[in-house]
Amino acid sequence: MRERFLSHGRGLLLVLVGVAAILWLAVAGKLALYIHPRYIEFTVVMAVIAGVVAIVAAALLPRADEHEGDHEHAPRSRRRATLLTAASVALIVATTAVLLVMPPSTLTSGTAAQRDINASAGGGAGDAPVLVAGDGSGFTVKDWAGLLRQGADEQYLADARPDVTGFVMADPDDPDDVFYVARFVITCCAVDAQPVGVPVYSPGWRDAHPVDSWVQVTGRFVANPSTSSMQAVALEPADVTSIDEPADPYVY
Amino acid sequence: METRAAARTSPVRWGAAALGVLAALLGLRVATGSLPVDALPNAVRDLITLSVSVLVESLPFVFLGVLLSVLVQVWVPSSVFDRLLPRIPVLRRAVMSLLGVLLPVCECGNVPLARGLLIRGLTVPETMTFLLAAPILNPVTITTTYQAFGWDHGILVGRIAGGFVIANLVGWLFSRHPRPTELLTPSFEASCRAHRDHPVAGHRMRRSALGFAEESTAMLPALVVGSFIAGAIQVGVPREVLVALGSNPVWSVLALMVLAFVIAICSNVDAFFILSFGSTFMPGAIVAFLVFGAMIDVKMLALMRTTFTTATLARMTAVVALAALVLGFGVNVLA
Repeated sequence: MRERFLSHGRGLLLVLVGVAAILWLAVAGKLALYIHPRYIEFTVVMAVIAGVVAIVAAALLPRADEHEGDHEHAPRSRRRATLLTAASVALIVATTAVLLVMPPSTLTSGTAAQRDINASAGGGAGDAPVLVAGDGSGFTVKDWAGLLRQGADEQYLADARPDVTGFVMADPDDPDDVFYVARFVITCCAVDAQPVGVPVYSPGWRDAHPVDSWVQVTGRFVANPSTSSMQAVALEPADVTSIDEPADPYVY
Repeated sequence: METRAAARTSPVRWGAAALGVLAALLGLRVATGSLPVDALPNAVRDLITLSVSVLVESLPFVFLGVLLSVLVQVWVPSSVFDRLLPRIPVLRRAVMSLLGVLLPVCECGNVPLARGLLIRGLTVPETMTFLLAAPILNPVTITTTYQAFGWDHGILVGRIAGGFVIANLVGWLFSRHPRPTELLTPSFEASCRAHRDHPVAGHRMRRSALGFAEESTAMLPALVVGSFIAGAIQVGVPREVLVALGSNPVWSVLALMVLAFVIAICSNVDAFFILSFGSTFMPGAIVAFLVFGAMIDVKMLALMRTTFTTATLARMTAVVALAALVLGFGVNVLA
């Protein structure tokens, strides 16, 4: 029995744990917390196939009595087998706990702070947004951050009427007066998430909006009044509203 | 009489048991799905999110790789490889490095497939060449790299040519080894020998079931551990340091290779990832990132450790890293 668990059972169990995690995330609409939406179809299809194959394989595996002799493995000492069994059980329990007990969650500002906000333009050079005699309605945090990164100044942005949502993150250079409305940009999966953000000049912002909470900000762009922030242009908020985390927290 | 009856009903019973386990796991998830997230400190939350992200992204590719491995082991006659591959070792490896064109699987799915090829009787250096070249020399990777960079700065050419040369260099180096089977872990080597000396008899479906269960058992624990290590490094290593070094002419190549190693991103999309940083990086550094990262990273090492010994992987990593450095500096000088 133990030999069967070590040679086949633990793999099939881990397949089932992974399949259950993926299927639930897909049904709950939360798979995009971990991977880019373009992979959702492929991931779900492979999970369904793997689940079916695992169940069929469990049914078709040679039984213990007919298994003898037809397929040899390196002999395992009793002590080694005990250790391996304990390690495998621990790994399966830990994987189940992480994949199926921990609630799914987005990345926090802790990761954003470590990844140099606005280092990336978010997307290729070709799809940088262009603001032509418009107010930029419909622009996301990523679009505005891309414009600011290209050096758009307050005159160029005079007619802009930004209306952005994102999570709150302190500007490391002026943490009391300036915060970022930030989002993560995903290329493939959450591992490659790059934070982008629009700086907002609002002294004492911490009293109303804790770091990591989600806000919707409207206002207009001005020369950044902060003396220590590295950002030349900042959003002067007309209104900052607390909102719930949106269903699709990442941008692409 | 009684045991025969039990043997006949047990397939249904085990299948039903597996279905029951899946239902129980889904039930557990439904029950815990709306627990509060905020109870954990941010670093732990992000560690879990990042590890799960690597795992969820890789799992479908590993499933696909395991299924292809079973296909190669059980359903493709070994004479196919003898007929299609040239006899001269150098040419054989060159053809093997182009096999990715037929099987555009992400690099983590290539490991189970490579194990299937080894069990089918291909040599260790041939399989290594496939394993290193396939993530780069496949239509999906080439297309996304072209979409990201076009013909600019020789990045696309550098990646394709560099990937081909490095994979074949590693294959040639390891082919000089007097006993190539010693490059494999003892347990996998024993498994290969067992397959060769006692071909598994019985129905093909049943052998496929056995192959699927064995490959999952080899791959998934390694994938889980590799994903966790990748997640932990992400939380522990500030990425801005590497990104800042990436625009330095001297350190850029090395910094982006380290970034590629820790980020463990799929070769099919890494071009878009590195492009999103804009034009701050040197072209040679980008080529080194695209070549080294597709061949070696933390997750790949965890997966390959199921098959190759630690010493083999250390040598392989050293050769690939040195070659990628030379390639990166070379492109920087020429471009």
